[in-house]
Amino acid sequence: MTTLALTINGRAYGPTEIRDDLSMNDFLREVLGLTGTKFGCGAAQCLACAVIVDREDGTSYTNPTCIVAAANFNGKTIRTVEGHAQNGELTALQKGFIEHFSFQCGYCTPGFLNESQVLLERLAKTKVARADLEKTIAEALDGHLCRCTGYVKYHQAVRDVVLADPDRYLA
Amino acid sequence: MRSGWRPFVLVLLSALASGATVAVAAFAASGTATNSLAPVESFASIADPAKRSAAYFTELGKVLTNPRCTNCHPAGDRPRQGDDAHLHQPPVFRGVDGMGLPSMRCSTCHQAANFDPGRVPGHTVWHLAPIEMAWEGKTVSQICAQIKDPARNGGRSLDDLIDHIGKDTLVGWAWAPGVGRTPAPGTQAEAGALVEAWVKSGAACP
Repeated sequence: MTTLALTINGRAYGPTEIRDDLSMNDFLREVLGLTGTKFGCGAAQCLACAVIVDREDGTSYTNPTCIVAAANFNGKTIRTVEGHAQNGELTALQKGFIEHFSFQCGYCTPGFLNESQVLLERLAKTKVARADLEKTIAEALDGHLCRCTGYVKYHQAVRDVVLADPDRYLA
Repeated sequence: MRSGWRPFVLVLLSALASGATVAVAAFAASGTATNSLAPVESFASIADPAKRSAAYFTELGKVLTNPRCTNCHPAGDRPRQGDDAHLHQPPVFRGVDGMGLPSMRCSTCHQAANFDPGRVPGHTVWHLAPIEMAWEGKTVSQICAQIKDPARNGGRSLDDLIDHIGKDTLVGWAWAPGVGRTPAPGTQAEAGALVEAWVKSGAACP
């Protein structure tokens, strides 16, 4: 057994005792009931299970949860798909996913949403040239698998969010 | 009908006999099974110091050419994994510092220790060996020449190699690789003893 305390979507959880062999995915879904984070391949290859990890310096990255022990998230601040909308108001990214019909079955959506959110926040700090935008989006979303093959529409949705606010994201 | 079996049986027996001969010869050459390491003292019967030194390294070569080592000393920019040394999945890449690309770092999945429920190995520092230290596809003799060369061994002296192979905890992971992976032959202490004996006997290459 080990002790876990972390912040999820702005709310403190723990300290609580957990099994050493408990994966973060199981902790979120089975212990906390945060089932928005999916369990896909179980081998960190589809990234449907990816959550956002916020660093103290204000930067963020995504991390799979299916193959990582919950204990490894001790002391960390993370965001899951449940943490995007505020007071019932969807983010521009979520609205873009809906408008573009980016997802069909929706299983990969939390991972794509988290990855896209990290990208937007990175671009807000370090703007990208319009000429490099397509490549930047493609590289950011690379690795996320969608069995419904919604890749293009995810890409288009992210691009539209960026282009809708060029002063914020484009150099 | 029965007479038709005779040539086949003869061929089979012949093949088995020749295979057994090869297996016995291989065992005799190394003196130990492939999953163990011969102790340093077992080489005492080799009178020629240079030949004895080379024999030490040949034995150590069982470790250095083992997938537990070569998977992270790849010839290319992608690590390998598993006992069959298949290309790493997900498709990760070396990156500028050997710790992956900005979007997919080694530490994204590989944590401070093995996580057997996820079948993911781990260590506090998890990274690829630099490309100049690639061992994949090389012979024991080639690795020997490489490992003696500070330009291709991470700037280490021969004495440094004794500590590195004998005591380094990332190297030591090879003997405790977690579920589903065959450990490197012998023990880290035995491998360290072989390196020390090899260095102190002149560090000759096979």
